[in-house]
Amino acid sequence: MTDATTPSRVSQKISAKVWEENAVPRHRIQWCPGCGDFGVLAGLKMALTKLEVTPYEVLLIGGIGCSGQIRNYLNGNGFHGTHGGALAYALGAKMANPGLTVIALAGDGDTFAIGVENFVHVCRRDPAVVLIIMDNGVYGLTKGQHSPTHGRGMDIREWSEEAPPPFAPLRLALTAGATFVAQSFSGDPRHAAEIYAQALQHPGFAVVNDFSPCVTYNKFNTYDWYRERVEDVPASHDPSDFQAAWELLNDFDRRGRLPLGVVYRHPRPKKAHGRLPIWPEELQGADIRPLLQMMR
Amino acid sequence: MTVNRLKILVGGVQLRDGVVTVTDILGRIFTRAGLHVLAMERGYASTIYGAHQFDPLVVSEEPPVSWGDPRLDILVALDYDSNPDAREQPNRDTILRHGRYLVDGGVLLYDSSTGEVPVEPLERRGIKVFPVPARTIARDELKLDVVKNMVAVGALFRVLEFDQDGTWLRQLVEERFARKGAQVVDLNLRAARRGREVVESILAARGWPGSGYRLQPRPSAEPRVLISGNEALSLGAIAAGCRFYAGYPITPASAILEFMEEHLPRFGGRALQGQNERESIRAAIGAALAGVRSMVGTSGPGLSLKVEEFGVAGMTEVPVVIVDTQRAGPSTGMPTKSEQGDLYLSIFGGHGEIPRIVLAPATQEECYTLMIEAHNLADKYQCPVFFLTDLNLSEGRKTVPEAVFTQHPVTIDRSTLVREADLRRDGAYRRFALTPTGISPRLVPGTVGGVLKASGSEHDERGFVSTDPAVRKAMMEKRARKMETFLREDARPPRVVGSVDGRPALVGWGSTLPVLLEAQQRLRQRGVEVAVVHFSYLWPFPAALAKPVLERASVLIAVEQNFTGQFADVIQACCLLPVRRVVKYNGLPLYPADVVGGVEHILHTGESHVRIGTEAPAPVKVSEGG
Repeated sequence: MTDATTPSRVSQKISAKVWEENAVPRHRIQWCPGCGDFGVLAGLKMALTKLEVTPYEVLLIGGIGCSGQIRNYLNGNGFHGTHGGALAYALGAKMANPGLTVIALAGDGDTFAIGVENFVHVCRRDPAVVLIIMDNGVYGLTKGQHSPTHGRGMDIREWSEEAPPPFAPLRLALTAGATFVAQSFSGDPRHAAEIYAQALQHPGFAVVNDFSPCVTYNKFNTYDWYRERVEDVPASHDPSDFQAAWELLNDFDRRGRLPLGVVYRHPRPKKAHGRLPIWPEELQGADIRPLLQMMR
Repeated sequence: MTVNRLKILVGGVQLRDGVVTVTDILGRIFTRAGLHVLAMERGYASTIYGAHQFDPLVVSEEPPVSWGDPRLDILVALDYDSNPDAREQPNRDTILRHGRYLVDGGVLLYDSSTGEVPVEPLERRGIKVFPVPARTIARDELKLDVVKNMVAVGALFRVLEFDQDGTWLRQLVEERFARKGAQVVDLNLRAARRGREVVESILAARGWPGSGYRLQPRPSAEPRVLISGNEALSLGAIAAGCRFYAGYPITPASAILEFMEEHLPRFGGRALQGQNERESIRAAIGAALAGVRSMVGTSGPGLSLKVEEFGVAGMTEVPVVIVDTQRAGPSTGMPTKSEQGDLYLSIFGGHGEIPRIVLAPATQEECYTLMIEAHNLADKYQCPVFFLTDLNLSEGRKTVPEAVFTQHPVTIDRSTLVREADLRRDGAYRRFALTPTGISPRLVPGTVGGVLKASGSEHDERGFVSTDPAVRKAMMEKRARKMETFLREDARPPRVVGSVDGRPALVGWGSTLPVLLEAQQRLRQRGVEVAVVHFSYLWPFPAALAKPVLERASVLIAVEQNFTGQFADVIQACCLLPVRRVVKYNGLPLYPADVVGGVEHILHTGESHVRIGTEAPAPVKVSEGG
């Protein structure tokens, strides 16, 4: 299997085209026409191209559901396991090899229903992992049941125990200790790409909640519905101020508006660690004799 | 006079009396003195404070075959008052529970700080009783409560005529307490001396020439360690190149997590205390995906929570070693009691059909050697590898020559990983390539020249999701083929001790091997020849290797620590041979006498399923939390 010549790490010309190799061809993408996830895909390609990341160093951890499919529609290493598990796999992979660009791509059900325990604690741990939540308010792949963010913008009288009010992703991320909290809208992939690029450059855990309308099952939170309500975070907002971030969310809620942009970004001092040993030669010479001495 | 062969049990109140401190000191010193120590049953409660705790040690000149029966030579009772349930019987908790197992002519040494205990029934059996007011001496004379343990150790050493000049004890105390200052060292040694003096005066007053027992050092050039199963398997994992460990606190697996947190960084690795059982195994899968040898450890309830990830690892072909230190179930069961009840879960747990390997070490030595194989097998076959120990083996300690861990160089086989040089950079790399062996070339993300797509959904050779019937068929067969390759290339036959031909065979797996061997010896003395057939490679069941052995026996008797006889079922299903069974599931360890009794019962009555281990209830109510 060994090649005659050993290729060295050559810098690869990164163009948007690169992200289409080793991926499911466009005509075989299984999202519904008009799905918000197309916007996330486009934005992600733009961000990765802009940052000149190579597909070899990218690890895309998909969630379960429509959102998780994105890992196959984009070049780069991809993995998906269980519902709600994306962040925990991402944590392990990043701990093992900090050189990888690890991106978890999951839905709101994946992240905030079954995966909320992992989400909260990954916020605390603050690994340099990017999480993009494709927030559509429904379980799309299982044909439209309520998800945690279901009912965004609906009348309060419609809520009940079996259909509780929508979950507030940014507020949970903030209170759980995430160091980068932002929101984007897949109806505007260029803007989303900007946010993703900032998230990818953040040295800790970056949460981006992306409004990604489900055109088939969510007839309420449509593109038009979002377009009428989204509003950029004002340029005067200081994202490093936690109190200001909280007030910003309160202000947007009061006005019935949805913020787009970076709401909070705080550089938590991080202890860097190295890649864990992989190849047999990196594992040579493990001398366990000092451990045995303690057991004498 | 019995020299260099005895069983001591130290008992007291959990967390207060320092039972484990005492047995640890004894075990270390006896090991250093060249004697063999085996401590496989550890009695403690699933509560923090106040319940009864005990720790028996077998000490002998030659390595003991097994931990033997409950019979005791020496009982050390550290309780100075009592379990609240036995308030009307001060000092008697340990004595009431374990005194009945003392042999005639044995020794009882107890803390008499709150008064002497009526012991006529024991004295009638020739048991020599040494009341030592250890706590009073510590508190009133030495002004340091905790040295009461050293008073007891010193007293016991005098009873055993061991370490007359105090060299062994001084060395250990200096190592342990040097950090705390010379004064602490001195107080401990004075405490031991006072214990010695008390015993001396009792011997003189009673006119006894000695206790009837003696331990003599047998210094040996060969360095030895006193090691637990958990420690041995952790060492094995480190030696095998495991550099990521994740766990969630659970008895009795937590010790592995603590060991790894303390020691893995020195080998360039990292340990993670997951926020729950699922985060632990997922992080381990993530690390393994990134190319690192990775392991998780848990016990039954935690294994249940990890089940969905068995399928992920099997389907995405990510190697991960899963240690299950079995305890009594179901549900939370008895967290501090041992059982072999998780075999079905390891072999069959998970939906769909998952390629997996299940191993079970028999001894502390095998915890080390088999763990190295576990990591190499996980790497080669790219599947979850289960490693089934149990509470007794994991927490049990044994004297083992250091050479067991150092004499053989460890081979780290990662030959199924592809490097940059192996890739042609034309996009032709296929993570799940259909190969004759079923083993596909595995890529580490970050390797220039290829990307991997791995999915828990059914996928094609490149890892893209597919439900095409032809793809599904080929992929199922590919994964199944790995297990066929395993059976052909790496599976091990059972170890056979004695001749099987036309004789009954005792069949076992995992930690019960030493007990089976001792039962075999005892049966021989009673005129019954049996063979022992023991499995460490459990699944895929090596039928081609095992059946020719098993079918030569006149009768197969599986001996297991569970209710149904889970492994017996596996053998019946895989070999189409009837298997009778002797099972024990009352929380106590399997004793050789249990096996002897069960086997004789089967041979005389022809019964097929013998449930053993009826014990008289504890004379003192067990006070335990949930």
